[in-house]
Amino acid sequence: MAKGIGRREFVKKTAKIGFSAALGGSVIFPWLNSSVQAYDRKGIDIAVAIGSDYLKNTIKAVDLLGGMKRFVKKGSKVAILPNTQSRHPGAYTKPEIVRAVIRMCKEAGAVEVNCLSWLTPKHWADTGLDQAVKEEGANLKLVDSDDESLYKPVPIPKGVSLKEAQIMKEFYNNDVFINMPVTKDHAGNKFTGTMKNLMGLNFRRKNRTFHKEGWQTEQSAIEHLDKCIADLNTVIKPALCVVDGTELITTNGPMGPGKLIKPQKVIAGVDRVAVDAYCTTLWGLDVRDIIMINKGYENKLGQIDLKKTKIEEVKV
Amino acid sequence: MARNLILYSVLPVFVALFLFSPETTQASLQGDLSRFLPGSGEVQGWERDGAPQAYRGEGLYEYINGGAEIYHEYGFRQVVVQDFKRKDGKSISVEIFEMEDPESAYGIFTFKTNPEDREISLGSDALLSDYYLNFWKARYLVTLTGFDEDEETIRGLQNIAHSIDTKIKADGNRPSLVSALPEEGLERASLKYFEGNLGLHNSYPFFTEDVFRLKEGIKGDYKGGYSLYIIESRTAEKGPVDFDDLKKSFKASSRYSHFRSLEELIFRVEDRKGKQVYVTQSKDKTLIVIGTVSQERIKNIFAGIQEIK
Repeated sequence: MAKGIGRREFVKKTAKIGFSAALGGSVIFPWLNSSVQAYDRKGIDIAVAIGSDYLKNTIKAVDLLGGMKRFVKKGSKVAILPNTQSRHPGAYTKPEIVRAVIRMCKEAGAVEVNCLSWLTPKHWADTGLDQAVKEEGANLKLVDSDDESLYKPVPIPKGVSLKEAQIMKEFYNNDVFINMPVTKDHAGNKFTGTMKNLMGLNFRRKNRTFHKEGWQTEQSAIEHLDKCIADLNTVIKPALCVVDGTELITTNGPMGPGKLIKPQKVIAGVDRVAVDAYCTTLWGLDVRDIIMINKGYENKLGQIDLKKTKIEEVKV
Repeated sequence: MARNLILYSVLPVFVALFLFSPETTQASLQGDLSRFLPGSGEVQGWERDGAPQAYRGEGLYEYINGGAEIYHEYGFRQVVVQDFKRKDGKSISVEIFEMEDPESAYGIFTFKTNPEDREISLGSDALLSDYYLNFWKARYLVTLTGFDEDEETIRGLQNIAHSIDTKIKADGNRPSLVSALPEEGLERASLKYFEGNLGLHNSYPFFTEDVFRLKEGIKGDYKGGYSLYIIESRTAEKGPVDFDDLKKSFKASSRYSHFRSLEELIFRVEDRKGKQVYVTQSKDKTLIVIGTVSQERIKNIFAGIQEIK
């Protein structure tokens, strides 16, 4: 396993490719993300492409935001994080969407596109994602979920419930991070989207502490889970979120099988809180009921009020 | 030598008697769940794909990752997972969950099923969805998932489920609280049985706090376009949650507005989506109707709550 990127080297690299889109910019220099926010204020916050061709939807959604070149500079290494949790329909990020993102990154000049995961090769094979990754010329980097030495302790200065994350070191070998969840139901906190997907970078045993001992289910335990996720999000900022809202389960999440709906939407945006708030509307949730998104808003990670965001929906 | 011959001829009979005695059958239910799985070819056209995977207790997290809470709330013990495949590439995944008792199995069954599902004859209750099937029997919940909605896959789901059903040699009853729901107009596939607040919250997010001090609850949808909740509190022996406290909680919550007392023991609020929520108490239960229903009809619905059998 390659060593994590050093701070000096990191700063040099981010300077080279543009601070705003750099992975982990908020970890070290939170203010570096301001240029992205300024761009968002002028343009579209949430781009939604609707249609039965999910690959085309993905390309369109990213194009609406200004194209992949806005996020991926020539020569950069890109980390992407699809959700491969279960092969049940509507429970994983579709291979077509991952294909499109890899292709766009390469066209933008990325030298490497790395799919990160601590799940097993079987998860990637069962969902068809390993084939998509291979055929598109990206790398599948599976990190042992039980080997703590492969994860880097990351303090969370603003953490309320989580004071330290343990992020896979492999993540820090990249310059840009694109978060690629499928949005779906979650039996615990009712919703999963961009913010919760970051648990896929965190050490699995650390993630277990997001859930209370003995799997308590009273409200304080669910709140603890949501607060930990919101805290984790304060130290990792995706340059871009591309969310699979094409086919998703609205019951029995996150594993399924569950009631499947097919909005046929791919949602892209920089503001993860706004993107998640938009995704709750896909199956009629009330964003006020989703603690995690509210905590994200309180942590100033983004805008929860969709009336204050510019949403562009386009049929492909 | 002769004594050994007698021993060898009699021993298998004793072993067989021991293995098939009712006590042993009951005891063996706590063992390896893979004994309920059909072998390769036992269900025509379907072969086992790989070895069964088993997860117990806390180990459920390894399998289900997030979302394990709800299974534990209902009393999860263990699960076995086995994939099946056909020569044409079709695939079915089988999960057999062992829960604490039949009530728990019934509860997680109702959690995982949908009002639109189709009732089929399997186990104690079975519901078939577009591409998956759930049934429960004794303290087991069986979930079978196809990966398309083709006729062959759906037939495979049912055939494999039938094989598992015949191997589970035990039975169990639904929770007695189910019998409190009036039968007339009840959509049976809509039933949800709760053993904790997470299950209730997934059905309808009444409160973020444990206002009802929930011990157990049941919900059914009715043809008249309303849902009826019957909730028993943990302090049932002392009576239900204080009615005035309940009123205060509804009044104080930002989820509800337009509070109105209809009678001494019935009040109404409106939720954020504009649905009417009627609340009353009967003996040791809190009764709630959600839906647009006339005031007169509400009294009839509440009066129709059955004595628990």
